[in-house]
Formats: sequence, structure tokens, C-alpha cells
Amino acid sequence: MRVTANTFPNSLLSQLTSLNQRQNRLQSQAATGQRVRLPEDDPVAMRRVLDLQAESKTVAQYERNIARHEELANASFGVIKGLKQVSDRAREISISADNLKSPTELKLYAKELTELIKQAVQAANSKNRGDYIFAGTKIDQPPYVMTTDAEGTVTGVSYQGNTSLAESEIASGITITTQALGENNSGSGPRGLLADNRSGADFFNHLIALQDHLLSGDTASIEATDRENLGKDEDNLLYHIGSNGALQSRLETTKALGGQRSDTLEALVSQETDADLAETLVRLNQTQTAYEAALQSGGKILSSSLLDYLR
Amino acid sequence: MLGLFGTLSMANRALQTQRQGSEIAGQNLANVNTPGYSRQRVNIATSIYISTQIGPQGTGADVVSIQQIRDALLDRHIGAEISVRSALESEQRGLQFGQAALGQLIDRQATGAEGAAAASGVGGQHGLAEQLSDLFNAFQSVSSNPTSTSERQVLIIKAQSLATQFNQVADRLGDVRTSLNESLSSDAEQANIALEDIAKLNEQIVTAEIGGSGRANDLRDIRQQRIEDLAKLAKVDTVANPNGSVDISVDGTTLVSGINVLDTLQTYDAGGGQFLVRTSTSGTPLNITGGSIKGTIDARDGELSALQAEVETLAATLITEVNAVHASGYGLAGTTGESFFSGTGSADIAVNAILVADPGRIQASGVSGAVGDNSVAVALAQLAEKKVGALGNQTFLENYGQSVAKLGQGLNNSDAQLANQQIVENMLLRQRDSVSGVSLDEEMTDLIKYQRAFEANARMVSTIDEMLQTVVNLGR
Repeated sequence: MRVTANTFPNSLLSQLTSLNQRQNRLQSQAATGQRVRLPEDDPVAMRRVLDLQAESKTVAQYERNIARHEELANASFGVIKGLKQVSDRAREISISADNLKSPTELKLYAKELTELIKQAVQAANSKNRGDYIFAGTKIDQPPYVMTTDAEGTVTGVSYQGNTSLAESEIASGITITTQALGENNSGSGPRGLLADNRSGADFFNHLIALQDHLLSGDTASIEATDRENLGKDEDNLLYHIGSNGALQSRLETTKALGGQRSDTLEALVSQETDADLAETLVRLNQTQTAYEAALQSGGKILSSSLLDYLR
Repeated sequence: MLGLFGTLSMANRALQTQRQGSEIAGQNLANVNTPGYSRQRVNIATSIYISTQIGPQGTGADVVSIQQIRDALLDRHIGAEISVRSALESEQRGLQFGQAALGQLIDRQATGAEGAAAASGVGGQHGLAEQLSDLFNAFQSVSSNPTSTSERQVLIIKAQSLATQFNQVADRLGDVRTSLNESLSSDAEQANIALEDIAKLNEQIVTAEIGGSGRANDLRDIRQQRIEDLAKLAKVDTVANPNGSVDISVDGTTLVSGINVLDTLQTYDAGGGQFLVRTSTSGTPLNITGGSIKGTIDARDGELSALQAEVETLAATLITEVNAVHASGYGLAGTTGESFFSGTGSADIAVNAILVADPGRIQASGVSGAVGDNSVAVALAQLAEKKVGALGNQTFLENYGQSVAKLGQGLNNSDAQLANQQIVENMLLRQRDSVSGVSLDEEMTDLIKYQRAFEANARMVSTIDEMLQTVVNLGR
């Protein structure tokens, strides 16, 4: 091929341009550690990475949801434990209050029971972050309202929450709730903590009945019904303590699974986008060498011509 | 027989011939860096012979022509390849605009508060993908904490930044479209100027070459240059006429015939801001198969308009889906029936001003009077996983990811095609350079060759002069 005056500069220029482009690409890959940055770099990988990153953010969100659930479960557990103590003491009283006790003693027991009821109502009206824990989804008002007579004896405790619970997601499509319902006598849905017609629990009414029987000295009724009723209430509380524990361990497991998934996602994203640093740097070195060689040889060739040898 | 005087005049002509040889070498050297210049060569032939008794005798040498070394086939090839390259270049440019408008990139260094790798634009919050997942995650947060005002506030902010991002992307894509239309108009104008220039050059060439007095080499160089300029804008077909002029046609319509411009290019709005190119005298668009005009139209009507439509559908579907779920819910104070987003598409999507003013009116609860209910918020969060019919049975993020990938694929393709095309064009240009380019070494040796020949012929003159003196002195 005939090589003319502009062949050298032109081809040198295009070689230098392409070497420069390659250097630039490799340098930015080395600097960012990424093989894919813009959609044009690798459209297929880009799409997968977008999906993976979205999933990773969702997993992180589920972790936050789980943390919120755990918080509520812990708060509920604390309250349920308190209620269990009330229930334990009430049972003790129901057992101690036999026909050997004097009416004065029974009255004292009744006084203690009134206080226990008030304590239980206070516990059942506990709040977490400003929301009433046991009011179902009517969390903006106290679930239990207590009425007393002139002497301070509790005459009734009524439930004004509802029977549904708010569930939120802890994994894709899986919703749970760690909230316990105060009362559910509908025979379906989540089990009530203090009253449920399926287990026969009706904590406040049973306590009030015991209080009234103590006041009237009716130890026969205490023996015949109250002890058994309080037993049902205790069973019901134990059921809730158990299910709270089960829920917490389920949350732990889900959280661990989420953590694993997010590690996997991280690895997958890395696989799709990250540059192999060793390879990139070796290539960059290669390209730099080629660039220098092109500059040097080009400079030499361009500077010499026949003119140098003509006098 | 020439005789002494005949020989003297032969030497004289030879001097002129060699001088002209060095002149052309000089012309070549002078134009070594002139773009579009093709080297010239003097064609020297023996002069007419005269008959003598001993047979025909030569009378020296004459310059018969100055020839331009040009390969017409190569020129035509290069013209066609320039059109292809230019089309790919402007398509790539258009798609790069689109890519920039979308602002979607992967930045692994940007690990946000979420810990996991976050997709983000420059500075963190630019890609639609990230903001879409942020919105659905904010719905999640509200669902796990339905009465929390702070979660509601966060949701409003996330939704607002998503809406703003949609507005900006719609805006930028609209701008890209406008600027592509503008570049079509300016391309058409430049093409018209080139057409006029070519017609003028045709006239000058025809005038210069009239009567067969050699070729107007330099004018032809300039005309070829202008034809290639035109080929950059639109693929043209050229037909060389015997009188030296060249006819130019686009898509079968003759625009330049000989020395006349028959028709010019014109852009017009074919409806909906879709600018196309037609000739001034015809109502139908030209099917231009190469050049930047084709590339611009391809980019605009191909990937870019698809992207624009997809972003539009995505925004519109998001508005209807979210609003449909949201409207059935109840706010903290029991209000209901509000929409979450206002607007109908990517250009005007915004968060309902009533909700912005009072985040408590976000309708997260599904039951009137039960503020702790979160069924609507959960349903909103679960929209993230919903396969929506209007989006080709994909989720919002899948659909958006596909749009991004499609644009990326288009750009990736034109990158690759352009790289290939560059190689083809470079090979042809090198070939042309090899045929028509000026070689300094060659010209320098030519120069020496003609100089020596000139010296020799000068010696011839002085020799004949001495001989003539001898003859004159014979009579003394």
C-alpha cells in the first residue's frame, strides 16, 4: 500500500484516540470498582441490578417492620406478665378465702382484689408510642372503662376496643401482628387476651365476681365457680404468653432469613456490576504501555522525512 | 530534420515541461494538508513527430494534461459509508441524551442509611427506580405504624420526590425531543446550502471544462468535499454527467440537476411534534436512509419515544392504582375519598395538596373509626409486588427496569455499530489516502527529478547556442 504524508498522522491519531478511550474506560472502572454504571454499559445486568437493589431495599424495609413488631411484642409481653401476676394473686386469694376466714379477713381480701382489678385495668390500658396496645384497631382510645360505686368498689369493666388487629408484612406477602386483642367474644378471629368465649376467659368479670363474693362472704360460690373461672383466665393468659414467645422467635427467624437474603443480594449485585480489579489493572497497564509505545514510535516517524537528507 | 533552431525550440519546450512538472510538485506540496485535496500529476508525452527521409523523428516532450489521481468508486463508497456513520452517530447522540434525561445509574459507593447497596443518581436521589422503591417502603412504614405522624410525613416526602422526579424526567425527555427536532431543521438548512453550493460548483466546472480543455481538478475536489458534507446530513445518490456536472437525488427525488437546484429540503410537523423532512414542492415525507437526519429521526421515533411513552404509562398507572386503593381508606380523623396523587401523567403528577397540608389525612385505615387499622396501607405497600395489566403484567419496578434496559440496549447497539462503522470508514479513508494523498517523499523526489531534467535541458540550450555560434562564425 502506498503510504502518504497524512497516512501516518491519521492512523496515529485514530490509534491514540482508541487507546485513550480504553484507558479512560479502564481507569474509571478501576476508580469506581464498577463494570456497569450506565444502562449502555450492560443493559441486561443493569436491569437485573435494578431488580436486585429494589429487593434489597424491600428486605431492609421488612427488617424495619420486624423491629417494630418486636418492639410491640416486647411491650405486650411486659403487660401480659403484669396481668399474670394479678391473676396469680387473685387465685391465691380465691384459695385462701375459705369458710375458715372471718368476714373481716374476707373484706380485707375484697379490698385487695379491688386494687388488683384497678391495677389490671391500668395494665390493660397500657400504651406503646401513644397507641393503646389491647384496643384492637381502635388504638386511639383506652380499651377498658371501669365503673366504681361510692365506696370505690369496682362495679364493672367494659371493653370498648374492637375485635380486629392490624397486620403488616414481615416478608413478601406474609403479614403478622404481634398485638394482642383485649377481648373477643365473637367466637372467631384472634383470641382475646382477657376475655374470650372460646376459652371461657372473662378476667375482669371473674375478678369482680370474686370481689363481690368476698364482700358478701359467699365462700361457697368462690369455691364452686370463682376458682375454676380464674383457672380459665390463667390458662388464657398462659396461652398468650406462649404465643407471644412463639411470635418473637418467628420474628427472629424471619429477620435472620432477611439478613441472609440481603447478603446474597449484595453478592449478586457485586457479581453483576463489580469490576475484577486485578484484571482491570493489568489491562490498564497494558493499555498504558501501548499508548506510550504509540507516542514514542509515532513521534520518531513523524519527525523524520526525506527533507532531513536533502541538501 | 529539426535543424538547430528546431532543436533550440525543442529544448525550450522541454524546459517548460520540466518547470510545469516542478510546479505541480509544488502544488501538491502546498496542499499536503488540504482536506479533500487529491494529488495531481503532470502527464508528459512525446510531441508530435515529423516525417523525415530516415523515418519519423521526435520533437521533444509536452505536458498533455494535469491529471487528478482519484478513484470514483472509492469516492462513492466513502459517501455511502459517511451517511451510515453519521446516522449512527446522531442516533447514539440522541439516545445518550435520553440516558442522561433518565439519570439512572448504578452507584455502588452510595450505600445509604439502609446499609444495602442503593441505586442512585449523582448526589444520591435521582433515579426513578430508587424513588419508586422508597415510596412503597414508606407505605410499609406507615402500615407498621399507622398512627405515627412522622412516618406519614416521611411518606409524603418520598412521594413528593418521586413525583418531582417523574416531572423532571418528563420535562427532560420533552426537551430532548424538542432539541432533536431543532437539529433536524438545522440539518435540513445545511443540506440546502450544500445543494446550492454543489449546483454552483457544477456550473463552474462545466464552464471551466467546456471545449475539453482539461479537467477542473481543484473545483472537483471542493465539490466532492461538499457532496460528502451533504452525505453526512442525508444519504444522497449521485450521477455524473458527461459535461462534468453531478446530479444529486435523495430517495429518488432529484434535487440538483446540472447547474440547477430543482428542489430543497424542508422540515414540517407531521403531527404531535413529530418533525419529518420533505422536499419543498411535495407533501409526502422523504424516506432518508442515511445521514444525521435519519439517525435523529430514528432515535426520536424509536427508543426515545418508546421511553417517553413508557414513563408516561408508568406514571399514569401508578396514579390510578395508588388512588384506587387509597380512596377507599380513612384518615386519622375519619376523612375518606381523597386521592393520593393528583394529576394524570408523568408531567403533572403531584401529591394531593390536602394530604401534604395534613399528613393525618393519608387514608391508611380500612375501617372507619379504627385508626389502628392499616389494611389500606398494607394494600398500598403490596402494590409494589402487583403485576399490573397496563404494564404488561409486570410490577412497577420490573416495568421501569425493562424500559431502562431497552434504552440501554439501544444505546449499546448503536455504540457497537458505530465502532464497527468507524473501522469500515477508516479503512476506506486510508485506501483513499493511499490513492489520492500527497506523499512528501514522492513529491521531493519528483522535484529533484524535474530539477535535474531542467538543468539538463538548460545545458541543451547552451549547447545548441554554442553550435549556432560555431555556424555563424563559419562565414567569417
